[in-house]
Amino acid sequence: MRPLTPKRVAWICLGLGLVLFGAAVISLRIGAYPISVVDIVKTLFSGILGRWDSIPTEHRSIVFDVRLPRILLAVLVGASLSTAGSGFQALLRNPLADPYVLGVSSGAALGAIIALIAAPHVPGAVQLAAFGGAAATTAAVYFLGRRGGQLDSATLLLAGIVAASFLSAIIMFLMTTLSGRDLRGMAFWLMGDLASTLPTNPLPWFEALFFVFVVAAGAIYATSSDLNLILTGEQEARHLGVNVHRVKLVVYIAASVLTGLAVSVSGTIGYVGLLVPHVMRMLFGTDYRLLIPTSAIGGAILVLLADTLARSIVSPTELPVGAMTALAGAPVFIYLMRRRMR
Amino acid sequence: MEFVTILMQALRSPIAAVLFSALIIRAAPTFAAQNATRAVRDEVGRAITVPAEVKRIVSLAPNLTETVYALGLEDLLVGDTNFCDTPEAAKSKPHVGDPQNPNIEAVVALHPDLVLATTSINRPETADALKRLGIPVYTTDPHTVRAMLDSTSHIAEMMGAAQQGEILVGKLQQRLDALHARLSDRPMVHVLFIVWLDPLQSIGQGTFIADALRWAGAESAITSDQPWPHLSIEEVVRVQPDYIVFAENHLGATTDELADLRVRPVWRDLDAVETGHVLNISEEIERPSPGLVGVIEQLARDVHPEAFSAAKGLPVVSSSEKLATLTGCAEGFTTCAR
Amino acid sequence: MSSVAGSGASSLPATIGARTPSVRLKVEQASYAYAATDRSAPKFTLGPTSFEAKQKELVAILGPNASGKSTLLKLLAGIERPLSGRIEVDGTEVGSLDLRTRAQRIALVQQESELLFPLRVWEYVLQGRYPYGKRLRFESDEDCLLAANALAQVGADPLRDRWMDQLSGGEKQRVILARALAQQPSLLLLDEPTQHLDIGGKVELLRRLRRLADESRYAVLVVTHELNLAAEFSDRIVLLHKGKCLRVGTPAEVYERALLEEVFEAPLDVEIRAGGRPRVILGANFGT
Repeated sequence: MRPLTPKRVAWICLGLGLVLFGAAVISLRIGAYPISVVDIVKTLFSGILGRWDSIPTEHRSIVFDVRLPRILLAVLVGASLSTAGSGFQALLRNPLADPYVLGVSSGAALGAIIALIAAPHVPGAVQLAAFGGAAATTAAVYFLGRRGGQLDSATLLLAGIVAASFLSAIIMFLMTTLSGRDLRGMAFWLMGDLASTLPTNPLPWFEALFFVFVVAAGAIYATSSDLNLILTGEQEARHLGVNVHRVKLVVYIAASVLTGLAVSVSGTIGYVGLLVPHVMRMLFGTDYRLLIPTSAIGGAILVLLADTLARSIVSPTELPVGAMTALAGAPVFIYLMRRRMR
Repeated sequence: MEFVTILMQALRSPIAAVLFSALIIRAAPTFAAQNATRAVRDEVGRAITVPAEVKRIVSLAPNLTETVYALGLEDLLVGDTNFCDTPEAAKSKPHVGDPQNPNIEAVVALHPDLVLATTSINRPETADALKRLGIPVYTTDPHTVRAMLDSTSHIAEMMGAAQQGEILVGKLQQRLDALHARLSDRPMVHVLFIVWLDPLQSIGQGTFIADALRWAGAESAITSDQPWPHLSIEEVVRVQPDYIVFAENHLGATTDELADLRVRPVWRDLDAVETGHVLNISEEIERPSPGLVGVIEQLARDVHPEAFSAAKGLPVVSSSEKLATLTGCAEGFTTCAR
Repeated sequence: MSSVAGSGASSLPATIGARTPSVRLKVEQASYAYAATDRSAPKFTLGPTSFEAKQKELVAILGPNASGKSTLLKLLAGIERPLSGRIEVDGTEVGSLDLRTRAQRIALVQQESELLFPLRVWEYVLQGRYPYGKRLRFESDEDCLLAANALAQVGADPLRDRWMDQLSGGEKQRVILARALAQQPSLLLLDEPTQHLDIGGKVELLRRLRRLADESRYAVLVVTHELNLAAEFSDRIVLLHKGKCLRVGTPAEVYERALLEEVFEAPLDVEIRAGGRPRVILGANFGT
């Protein structure tokens, strides 16, 4: 009998964190602009020490305005999607659940398209509208997915699928009103894009994003013991003292917030929320007290590597990140499914 | 009597209905082919049969509509698309829908002798559908400006206006050659042509726009063979283009692109932004039509101002002036739209 | 021994080493009904019922289908609140307990749901410790000790490292029981635990429950319709019929032929064996 200890969680997370750090280092090195490792390190140090004048503008631009933010965004998006995915899988009692199955991403995409059509040059409008779309869809699906005043997994899943297809239809319709050029731009965004232009003062923006992530992911982590019990049966969990109704609500809202956050920042990047928790389960077990942090870090690693690949395979052209995760994700998914069958 | 009864009974069965309609459809071309016709091969290699005398045409693309007007043949134009907005008069022609998905029935209802389409906007399925209904579709496929001029000649010839075509194309060619001569001793300016800003999308070397830019003495700084490559901003920093060029955008009113770029991280540090070399030109740059030549001339003035100095005896036109006056209007035709 | 519908002995606090065994469960005139409004009379699924269960006692709640057994169980587990009357565990009303405290006092063993992800036996049993400590908790050494004890008590110690979905029906039931024991309850409730077992399994389970009751400080309540098992192993029987509590007492007191025949609607005969416990067999005029 070797129960999970906080120490074990910490060690595993540290190990994964090192892998993430390595991926970040690789990602920092790769890009269309030729800059050596030495120059990167010089730029980093000068920037940290505040001596902006000692480095060429282009280097500063590339390291601090292009690559670092992109790495941070990839980490944020990957961690958000995986954590949300693990939450939804517990909530829906379905290991194949994914943050997008409940229609949240379609709602965010719809918000983004509307912003693009109505207010294309307002900074931050797309992000805000995407997040708003996600929130509205979350609320709508919640009310549709209730049974007897409580969230019911099967009903919730159905409501989510209906919402997703309905919203997708509206998106299709709106896209036919866009001209060819705007259509191409929108289509690329829908496939996942981490190159979104930063606001003029990016630091507070990043701080806000990370704050939201920490709060939402923290809320889900706080329920991880509860989730372990709920996974052996809702009735049983109730009799063991779990407030099942409240846990489900908290997980639903927090996971939707995380999904909305990710989609508003980077468009729809699929398979991350589905696969990463699965792989982490296979590696580290199904205990949610370990699964949630490992999924977060694992998701960050996946999206970071996928993005690095997407912008280096056919440099200087960029491929959409969502395409990379789908290309890698689908075969892995099929493999996992077949393993389960056996 | 008996025969009629049998016929009526036969017609009631669905199979008979299908066979019957197939017969009618097959017969249609024979009716159309009563008059004298010519066999023509369009620019995608499709063999079509065009009546010797073309009286009614439908255009499925804005650039072709514009070409028709420039040739002075707008009286023959019985229908165009929702997007055909140049010249203004084109908006009041009957519409058959949008270029990607025109209403086939609306086209047929206009009884055209010839339909004009282009590969860059229209789908081959549309041409196939119309062909099956016995309506010839001429599809243009210009990859360069010169090819566009050739298309214009062919279209003029098909519509029995060979002389107008010759004159129009001659004038346009003249202007282009004059421009080329003026710019011959100047080095090419490197530009970043922005199709879409966020995510960043530009043009490939083999596109029509790239060719049009070259005529204006501007080379696209992005060396990609894909037609619409998505770029990393790092590539822009690496090549540091001399000019950044936007083409008027459908979404939203024109804004001050330069002011916008001046506050964007990374963009604001680019040489082109710091020196204010950000241009917004007409979206006609994407349109293979006579009006294109005017846009090319305007762009050449913007990026090679020294070649157009007053000392050479030509007026200096500022980049903010409306381009409406510079569409390729063939001189000597009173039906010219502008 | 308490008689029909009487309030019985006064409850005593649960003190270690007290001579008088403490009353773990006290049910006083508890009833339940659906659809109780001002205008229409409530449809009672359980009429006023009273009985007690002391520690080390095994009480059987007996009756045919639709007799109100499941309703009574729900009331005892705190899933529903009684329309009238009181249900107390260790002197505190069940309805007033918060979820976690209730889980510390009452352990319910029901038909289990399907597990979503593979789980080891010891992990499953450890979950029984959830009601103690903080919500986000990591198990302490004491938790592990108690879980190991629970497994030992049900004789499932060798199963410790096995996967839950690889267990046989009987093994799984023992593990579920161990999880309930890990809760260290005052009241152990079992809902028709012998349903899917063969006669050997049934006897084994009841023997184990008897032994657990004898060696523990809690009361065991079993909802069942197995006449002979209840008679053989329980200290007290609560006989329900169509929502009414007909009789509470020792098996010998409750198993009256006429009463049983009326409740179970079958010709039955009652024999008293050596040791004073009754046995029910099919009636002499069965088959005529």
